[in-house]
Amino acid sequence: MKFKAVVTENGVSLLDRRFLPALEKMGKIYHLFLTRDHAFFLHNLITTADGIQSIAQFRKQALFDDYRISSQNEDRIAFAFDISLLLRAVRSSVSIISGEFGIANRLQVKLVKKLPPNSTQPMPFLTFETKGYKSAVIQDVPISKPLSRAQLLQLQAALDAAQDLPPTLVQVPDSNRLQNFVDRMKHVGDLLNVSISKYGDLHLQISTTLITLGAEFRKLLVVGDKGPSPNVRHFSKSLQCHLAKPDCAFYGIAPQGACLTVIFQFFIPGTRQTDKSISLHCRLPVLDPGSS
Amino acid sequence: MSSSAIETDTSDLVCQLDNVQGIVDALSTVRWKRHQDAVVELSEHGIVLIVEETGCLQAKVYLQKELFIRYEYTAQGRPRFGLSLGLFVDCLNTFSVPGHSSSIEIQYPGPDMQLLIKSADSLDDCIYAEIRTRIPETISWDYNFEPAGSTPLSFTVKSAVLKEAIDDLEWPGSSIQIILKPVPPSVTFRGEGHGDLQIDLMYYANTDLLIAFHCDHEVSYRYKYKFLRATTSNVPSNVIKDNRGSKLTIGRGGMLKVQHLVSVARPSTSHQHIDSAGYQQPSRIAYIEFFVKPEEDEDTVND
Repeated sequence: MKFKAVVTENGVSLLDRRFLPALEKMGKIYHLFLTRDHAFFLHNLITTADGIQSIAQFRKQALFDDYRISSQNEDRIAFAFDISLLLRAVRSSVSIISGEFGIANRLQVKLVKKLPPNSTQPMPFLTFETKGYKSAVIQDVPISKPLSRAQLLQLQAALDAAQDLPPTLVQVPDSNRLQNFVDRMKHVGDLLNVSISKYGDLHLQISTTLITLGAEFRKLLVVGDKGPSPNVRHFSKSLQCHLAKPDCAFYGIAPQGACLTVIFQFFIPGTRQTDKSISLHCRLPVLDPGSS
Repeated sequence: MSSSAIETDTSDLVCQLDNVQGIVDALSTVRWKRHQDAVVELSEHGIVLIVEETGCLQAKVYLQKELFIRYEYTAQGRPRFGLSLGLFVDCLNTFSVPGHSSSIEIQYPGPDMQLLIKSADSLDDCIYAEIRTRIPETISWDYNFEPAGSTPLSFTVKSAVLKEAIDDLEWPGSSIQIILKPVPPSVTFRGEGHGDLQIDLMYYANTDLLIAFHCDHEVSYRYKYKFLRATTSNVPSNVIKDNRGSKLTIGRGGMLKVQHLVSVARPSTSHQHIDSAGYQQPSRIAYIEFFVKPEEDEDTVND
């Protein structure tokens, strides 16, 4: 099992300034799932499906150069790690790259097994190596043991299932404004009702014994159906994705109201064309409308 | 949406406002704890919101009708209702968009005596709220403020200075003495508790701090620190930055009145559009008054 690649300048900026900060807001433990063509950051896909699920997908060219992967599971590798440690390692590599040596400097990432201090057991790490003019800085991010074949298949299946699009999607006009609104709404109540109509209306509402507070956005794109209530905390967490600076957002409710799906799209810089090499989407569990 | 179904002519009040953030700032100033019941009184002159801490501290926010771009009042008498201040502020806050001047319409009463609020900016997007109101509690103690004598005992100090002085008095804590002296004209705040701290504001020495001063005889009263602190601690930082004057007046029996001014003008981004209408018109100010009762204390010098 081998993995080695060079993170491109664009890849560093995507991870450091946009994706990792957004993902960090949504969860702590992620799986990095690497295939021949893609890298996925996955949260909460195979653990008990309580809480937000998030999926960030990159075509390998979006992040890496000189991408080499091999494993006995059809060249797929997956492991779990703490996203905040990864963010720290990337941040500090960025400061080295940009601080002194210019772009020519390369940030290499690879999977290694090392003997940590005071241990007799070699442990797996994701290692970032920044080569400077006279020095090299190596940062080891501790990771879990790579997933077994069975676990990997389970993760792949969960990923495939999570890719299903809800039959109903509406495009949210201004996701920063919506984020801001939901952030403030949180002070008023915990439970948020979301409904999406086939006429392109998105309706958010908090209703308690003392107050009803809601927002309606009309004439949005799409077709649909009414869904039950996800928890507002999750909802607003998913909106932390705005840190990833998406160019547009879609909301949809999965069949039978199983979850609220939020899909973010990114444009190719300087155009209004969707950049298909990057995607981010989140699935929010729906509370039983009878509970709480 | 239910709120749009209501006939306007059955309402006591329908009003529209183009700067939600200004009202949020004004109301936040009197929000000294998390759960606070407020009484709202409507009249042809505007809206007054009153909050109090049993028998010791009362605050009023005056939102005059001039702050509103539309103010249609049709009630007989002066309708009053109670609501939760925290909920009201948090709710209004959701209508405020940073960098925008958001317009809202407020209506009272709804079919079930609610306070109805809705955004008035766009036809396609709508934010709406219905806040349940209560039968107001009777205001337990009347804070009729009467002047102490023929000359008022008052001083005006920059809001930031007042806040800083009161913040600094935290460590001696418990009880703060305020002394006004005509010769030399000065105001002293003195805290005695875990230690002593005295802050003197000399009128002639720093006129930029103490903007105005009126006092014909020495007076001294003590106030509980936590109530004094409530008069400045929640003034939003952007209001402190405006740094208008806060006026403090001591009335009969040592009742302290603290007055703040909060701008409800449209945010500065739109100044170029309203300059012709007059930059920072006085009518775009919300008035806030706190009344603090002095401590019952045998060594008060006066009255």
